[in-house]
Amino acid sequence: MKERVRIALAQISCKRANKEENLKKMEEIVKKFKDQSVDLVIFPELSLTGYVVRDQIYELAEIIPGPSTYAVEKIAEKTQTHIIFGMPEVSEKTKATIYNTAVLVGPKGYIGKYRKMYLPTHSVFEEKRYFRPGYQSAVFYTELGRLGLIICYDIFFPEVSRITRLKGAQLIVCISASPAVRKTFFEILTAARAIENTTFLAYVNLVGIEDGLQFWGGSRLIAPSGRVLAKAKYDEEDFVICDVDYRDIKPIETFVPTLKDLRPELFDELKKCAEHL
Amino acid sequence: MRLNPSILNLDWVEVEQKIKNFIRDYVSKAGAKGIVLGMSGGIDSSTTAALAALAIGGDKVLGLILPEKETYNKKEIAHAENVAKKFGLKTELIEITATLESFYNSLPIFDPLDNVCKGNIKARTRMIYIYYYANKLNMLVGGSADKSETMMGYFTKWGDVAADIFPIMDLYKTQVQRLAKHLGIPSEIIEKPPSPTLWPGQSAEKELGIKYELLDLILYGLEHFMQTDDIANQLEIREDLVKKIKQRWLSTEHKRRVLLAPKLEYRTVGADFRLSRHYFYY
Repeated sequence: MKERVRIALAQISCKRANKEENLKKMEEIVKKFKDQSVDLVIFPELSLTGYVVRDQIYELAEIIPGPSTYAVEKIAEKTQTHIIFGMPEVSEKTKATIYNTAVLVGPKGYIGKYRKMYLPTHSVFEEKRYFRPGYQSAVFYTELGRLGLIICYDIFFPEVSRITRLKGAQLIVCISASPAVRKTFFEILTAARAIENTTFLAYVNLVGIEDGLQFWGGSRLIAPSGRVLAKAKYDEEDFVICDVDYRDIKPIETFVPTLKDLRPELFDELKKCAEHL
Repeated sequence: MRLNPSILNLDWVEVEQKIKNFIRDYVSKAGAKGIVLGMSGGIDSSTTAALAALAIGGDKVLGLILPEKETYNKKEIAHAENVAKKFGLKTELIEITATLESFYNSLPIFDPLDNVCKGNIKARTRMIYIYYYANKLNMLVGGSADKSETMMGYFTKWGDVAADIFPIMDLYKTQVQRLAKHLGIPSEIIEKPPSPTLWPGQSAEKELGIKYELLDLILYGLEHFMQTDDIANQLEIREDLVKKIKQRWLSTEHKRRVLLAPKLEYRTVGADFRLSRHYFYY
């Protein structure tokens, strides 16, 4: 397993409902990074289709692994790069059960997926109308270290990142499609999740305008200390390469020993309180 | 939440940028050649015209000045032309009195004393002129409605709020005033009393029965789910007034939604379809 991993935050805008174009774009970007020894390229939430596709989601969703993940696997194999991206996933068993999913593929093929647990359905968001929530956190033990996946609104719920961390994640990857009015929340919460879990956190947000929603970008890599190690531009496409050095976790874990100090008995109380809100 | 005028402050540089991005993006995705909009010389259409010109270039923006006999006002026309000159957009002036009179004359139940019904003919006639240009020149219609009048339903259904995009619709009137100042709209346009000018001497604040400074704070409170008594206490006004504003806002929702149909079939236009505004032919 590598101690030092080079990642690329691929902050793109998407062609809505056009998987072919978006896959082409992903391929071009991953190929471009190949010369810069990038190990992992991260694309935003629903980057295969765009975020605001509404009823077209039923035509666009695919099983995983399926045609689009095969296409991304090929890119990963050709470039010997790991890739994380987002797509609507349809259940193999039913035809209209769709998940908002993050997919991880590597040079040797498909590695795994994470289905978004918290689906915003308020304000401009309609996710529960279309998606079924996921029920499992996801951490993958890879040659690039232990990678945890979360998606956008999950970051408002510390338990998702916490479980991911407790299952071993050294780098939590949060892919996102966050519109501009939510910028402040994410800037704070991304740092908070990294600090409280003493873990690296890579946040990759969409840009562009979809049906009046402007996504703000601002993708970033945050160190376990909360320091922003790299940051992409606001509001426009940008690609940032940065290095994750897992050896930096230990010193901060001793300095801010949140995991050592965990109090599991409080979780029972938390559960009870949440059930009787 | 404390209701005071500073709560309506936004970062105007950022707001300008977001609106320009929105206009540029929409025009390009629609494959349109530009934007056509009606220009009255008032603050809303002046601000919208300026933003459109800053976003896509004045040569792609056409302002139609559409005066008519009863409300003819040289000063208003000059205001519209000044804005057009300052922001480099084209204008065309068309006198619409003859068209209006043919409408009046051909309506068997026409009532010359009913200002509202007659005024609405003016707003809808202007819409027809503007859409003709949009159609013919492959342009989009820019709407100039602000959030205060939209929430109040203070507009003509299928008239002035018939457009393809509404760049300033999420800004209250007093916010539009601040944005206009930031953009460099001449102060005489910002400071004059707002009016839809559907009949001589019409004043928006007189008709709404409230000053925009107060209305905007009440609407802001309602937007943020505040209770009417809390709003009234904070603004030191009678709760009746807040309730009246709330009722007017809620009772005019029919003017802001389109295509209401009884639910009869599988997926119903308006009620069920959730589609993107652009169709993607790939």
